[in-house]
Amino acid sequence: MGRAVTVFAGRRRPPRGRISLTPYLFLLPACLLFLVFRVYPLINGLWLSFTNARLGRAQYSFVGISNYEKLLDDPRFLHSLVNTAYYTVASTLPILALPLLLAVLLNRGIAFKALLRGAFFFPFTLSVVTVGLTWLWLLDPVVGPFNYYMRRLGLPLPSLLAEPATAMWGIVLTSLWWVTGYYLVIYLAGLQDIPRHLYEAAAIDGASGWRSFWSITVPLLRPVFLFVFVIHIIGSFQIFGQVFVMTQGGPGDGTRTVVQHLYETAFQSLFAFGSASAMAWVLFAVILVFSLLQFRILRGHAEY
Amino acid sequence: MQNTDRVISSAGPTARPPVRAAADLLSRARPTQVRLWIMTAVMAAAAVVWLLPFIWVVVTSLKPTPDIIRVPPEWIPWHLTGEHYNEVLFSSSRTARIGRAFLNSTIISLGSVALVLVTSAMAAYPLARMRFPGRNLIFATLVGSLMVPNVVTLVPQYILIQQLGWLSTFQGLIVPEAGVVLAFGIFLLRQFFLNIPTELEDAARIDGANAWQIFVRIILPLSHPALGALAIFAFRSAWNDFLWPLIAVNKPDMFPLPVALALLRGAYSSESYGPIMAGAALSAVPLFVVFLVANRRIVEGMQLSGLKG
Repeated sequence: MGRAVTVFAGRRRPPRGRISLTPYLFLLPACLLFLVFRVYPLINGLWLSFTNARLGRAQYSFVGISNYEKLLDDPRFLHSLVNTAYYTVASTLPILALPLLLAVLLNRGIAFKALLRGAFFFPFTLSVVTVGLTWLWLLDPVVGPFNYYMRRLGLPLPSLLAEPATAMWGIVLTSLWWVTGYYLVIYLAGLQDIPRHLYEAAAIDGASGWRSFWSITVPLLRPVFLFVFVIHIIGSFQIFGQVFVMTQGGPGDGTRTVVQHLYETAFQSLFAFGSASAMAWVLFAVILVFSLLQFRILRGHAEY
Repeated sequence: MQNTDRVISSAGPTARPPVRAAADLLSRARPTQVRLWIMTAVMAAAAVVWLLPFIWVVVTSLKPTPDIIRVPPEWIPWHLTGEHYNEVLFSSSRTARIGRAFLNSTIISLGSVALVLVTSAMAAYPLARMRFPGRNLIFATLVGSLMVPNVVTLVPQYILIQQLGWLSTFQGLIVPEAGVVLAFGIFLLRQFFLNIPTELEDAARIDGANAWQIFVRIILPLSHPALGALAIFAFRSAWNDFLWPLIAVNKPDMFPLPVALALLRGAYSSESYGPIMAGAALSAVPLFVVFLVANRRIVEGMQLSGLKG
């Protein structure tokens, strides 16, 4: 009680009738940075999406929702949206499941735990370009070891990245290798928060390891699942680097994603800032809807 | 398994509750040690397989070009050579920009780390410790901004940087990179500051210290773990960012590493494999070193970090 009062007294400003400037001075640099480089671009981007702005065009004007209307008629944009959704769906199960599997295995009795965790985490310290180059080289149809060993195993895959039907799976594989370590670490933190006595009690009741996993680990990890799920969805809707480095959107637009289409629209071919801003906001809306849906579906309290 | 044993033994041999004793019996019944080493061996093998893609990059970078394109793949570089590293770091050919890009990335990343640490620590302090009108609104806005995907501000940010005349400059990369991490940094440090006991500050205040002195002499020295985690996080974020520098820089001399490497790949041919792989391996070195030194801290930082990948 005494402690609580001290804390309270320490934090409360004395009621003097005037507002102290001190907190605002502390906040000034961060707020300046935040307002100029985060808030202003966000608002300006929304405005731009209703204009015909272009690179180098000094004067531009309000065009209503025509940028958004044109997007609906742009087959390449729609195709890129479908590709992005395909990537997101295809990558979700592996990217949720593999790190969980590794985390559960690492969380059981095991020697050199920190070292092994570090090994799985290592790819996440690489840049997306380094990761993309690594897998491009590994999947090289002529001299890459991946195809060589597949041939030796009697599974001659046509080069993964060269076929429109399979190229996206090459990207999924690359992303899986990149981010598994990150989600593994998040899952490990969640697993360590589950009280051991629950497993002990289950073991006494004769539950198998598998049964404990489904009845204790999975339900109690729900908040962590939700977190990983939302982060993964937000990230995968913005996928760009892997595609840019490995396939440039090909073959035959098979891996063209929204951000790549946006990048090309704004900075490579048309320099159409208005149209690109509209794409960004459509993507934002999609991500927002998905995130809210996930919160609704997976919401719930972990109680133990 | 280990944890179970530890919990039980720490409960002491004399006062052992019956439930615990039963659990103890169960765990003793299994050949724990054997299982532990089998599991360790399996996971170690999995970890080696997991690292093979990057090992292949390093092996490739150390081979002379004729060996690089040899089939079947050779995992041991029999004719060890440093020619590709020499080329990307020191030669004046088109691949030579990697050395320069390494320097650029270092400047950008360190600058961004410094800016993030100063601004977010200063902002987190009043948000954790003072009461003032607008506090909750400011904090809610910052946290809410974490939900906004970076790509939404890509085009308008380009226009802003262009208007400031900052395209292809260090500040044009440092300041936006810092802006991306800022909100998260404030969130992280505020959480940490909230857990620092206030007694020390109260004592200092009685001794006549002002808010700035308390912040610099008490809060910051006590916050090394959180500041370290944030520094590593911000460094990784700036060192590895690709999309923003790809559009904000158009002078080759100003490219950071990811952009230089990606454009090197544009000149993709069998002679380029060696230099590209050498560049890829080099780009991994700084974070690998940080990672070796601060493995535990990075992992904890990532666990704290949450919201950004």
